[in-house]
Amino acid sequence: MGEGSEHAARLLRAYQAQEKRFVERRFPLRFAPEVPALRELYSQAKGLHWNPETEIAWDRFDAARYTAATREAARRTWSRRAWGVYPGLTESTALLIRFCLESGSLGMDAKLFLSFRPAEEAKHLEVCYMLAERLGGYEPDPGEAGLARLSNHPFTQAALDADVPVEAFIAALGALDDQLDLNLHLSHLRQAKDEVVRSALRLIAGDRARHVAFAWTLLGSRVPALGAAERAAVIDTVRDMLANVILAGYRNTWLLPEKIREPWLAAEEETARQGLGASTPAQERSVLRATVTQVRERFAAWKLDLPRLDHPELGTI
Amino acid sequence: MLTERERSEAYVREQRYPLPLKSAMPDVWALWQRAKTLEWDPQTDIPWEELHPERYSAEQVLAAQMYWSRRTWGEYGAISESPALLLRFCLERQLPDLQFFFTMRTMEEGRHAEASWLMADRLGRYFPQPQNPPTAGAVGTHGVRRMAFDPETSLEGIFASLVCAAEEILIDVFKATVHKATNPAVRRLMELILRDEVRHIAFGWQCLDAWAPSFTPQTVRNIEAAVTTMIENVEFRGYRNLWLAIEGGSATPAEIDADRISCEAGLGGNTPEDEMQVFPEFLRKIRKRMAPWGVTIPMFDHPRLGKV
Repeated sequence: MGEGSEHAARLLRAYQAQEKRFVERRFPLRFAPEVPALRELYSQAKGLHWNPETEIAWDRFDAARYTAATREAARRTWSRRAWGVYPGLTESTALLIRFCLESGSLGMDAKLFLSFRPAEEAKHLEVCYMLAERLGGYEPDPGEAGLARLSNHPFTQAALDADVPVEAFIAALGALDDQLDLNLHLSHLRQAKDEVVRSALRLIAGDRARHVAFAWTLLGSRVPALGAAERAAVIDTVRDMLANVILAGYRNTWLLPEKIREPWLAAEEETARQGLGASTPAQERSVLRATVTQVRERFAAWKLDLPRLDHPELGTI
Repeated sequence: MLTERERSEAYVREQRYPLPLKSAMPDVWALWQRAKTLEWDPQTDIPWEELHPERYSAEQVLAAQMYWSRRTWGEYGAISESPALLLRFCLERQLPDLQFFFTMRTMEEGRHAEASWLMADRLGRYFPQPQNPPTAGAVGTHGVRRMAFDPETSLEGIFASLVCAAEEILIDVFKATVHKATNPAVRRLMELILRDEVRHIAFGWQCLDAWAPSFTPQTVRNIEAAVTTMIENVEFRGYRNLWLAIEGGSATPAEIDADRISCEAGLGGNTPEDEMQVFPEFLRKIRKRMAPWGVTIPMFDHPRLGKV
């Protein structure tokens, strides 16, 4: 067995051990809507499906309009974005399995919604790949161990971890991280000038908005009934996600450690300048602050107090 | 809580990079592309106004409710269990074609579950569980999630048992009986499910055909064992059709007979005569199809089908 397959076997055993901690009670298996707003989001997903191959006017994308330096920058930016989308395939799949393991009689709205989400993530991934390819080639490897580590977190396993309440996982990855990702996409869309890039960002943002709505709606249906320990876990998990993942540069290149942020940061700045689907660090900084404020205010409505954090570059956030 | 557990190595970090996204299996990639052009919505793409359950006898409607309820439970397995295969594809770093396609498969299976539930519901009643609890053991799981997370179970074996056996027989029966569904709403639903499932099965065979040149004797044995288990422990326990259950003592006579009555009413399902014809033919087909890989599927004894 090679090193790769040994590692894969270790990972599989980790999933296997997690799955065994649940006792699935499949019956009674209920399908009727419990949270109509979640069922509505599922209905919207069905009605608003799209195909990256056919619904983006690729034939109107003229990469030759841009200089070689710009194309190189944009191809890097869209490659890095693909790495950021990819985990969604497995994280949302693991979350679907988690809901199924927890109960057959509860959560069908979420299960149906989550049965769609991996395919939506795959479409976003395809868009990132297609753009990178047209700009000179998708880059499959960060080529830098630090960046690879900071963009590779085992959240798929966290989704199946019985010690992490499902609400805490959704609060951290859905309400915070997905919300930030959506807000960043909207910022990129505002800056984008290329019509093909704009339509790609608009389609992705439409799906992302639904993913974020799912997180907030699900939390709204469950948080009020949580006990003290689960509420503490929600806050602890969100704070951890913010302090140790988001502020470490998971979504924002300018937050990466200085020695590894180049050449990715310069690439994003050039991509933003040419309107090919990025924002400047100053724009992203403002999006991040606004997102954290938005998340904190929404949590406060449930009397969940997200503590402020100190960051060397951002100050208190 | 998340990164603490990451640092304490409670979680195993994936080896994610390099992350190739370029298609390497054109046939599978074509299935992914095709799936995106054929999306449908059970709420709007079925002519529900033509269902008219009031035109059928109480016995027929009850049988159809039971049939479509059990189909719902079966389809739910593809939401609850087989998505684990996508996790395995990703962590084993299988080709991107497999990963992309399987996301659509999960979506489509969710749609089939919803559609089957809607059919039972619009026929008047969805049954959320079998009438006798022990039947839940037979119809509750095909065990694919456990297999997918088990490093000792080969991916080839899972594909052969889930896709080329369990899904293949399901679709063979659908194909053989769709013409009997005289109800337009039922017929349309069966056609739409069939259209998706044909792609799912093509995916399984294409992967196995592509991998076959590298099969070791152990791989072949794994496939043989997995298919045999799927036939004996899943199909012959009544997962898809309770009439096939060798030890069907816990299912009620009404449940066992539901498929036949529903089928004869034109509301979906199949009769024992259909099974007698389709099941042996299905086994002959997969034996022949797997033979070039060196796979030998044994003969099975079944009290009603005989030696098949």
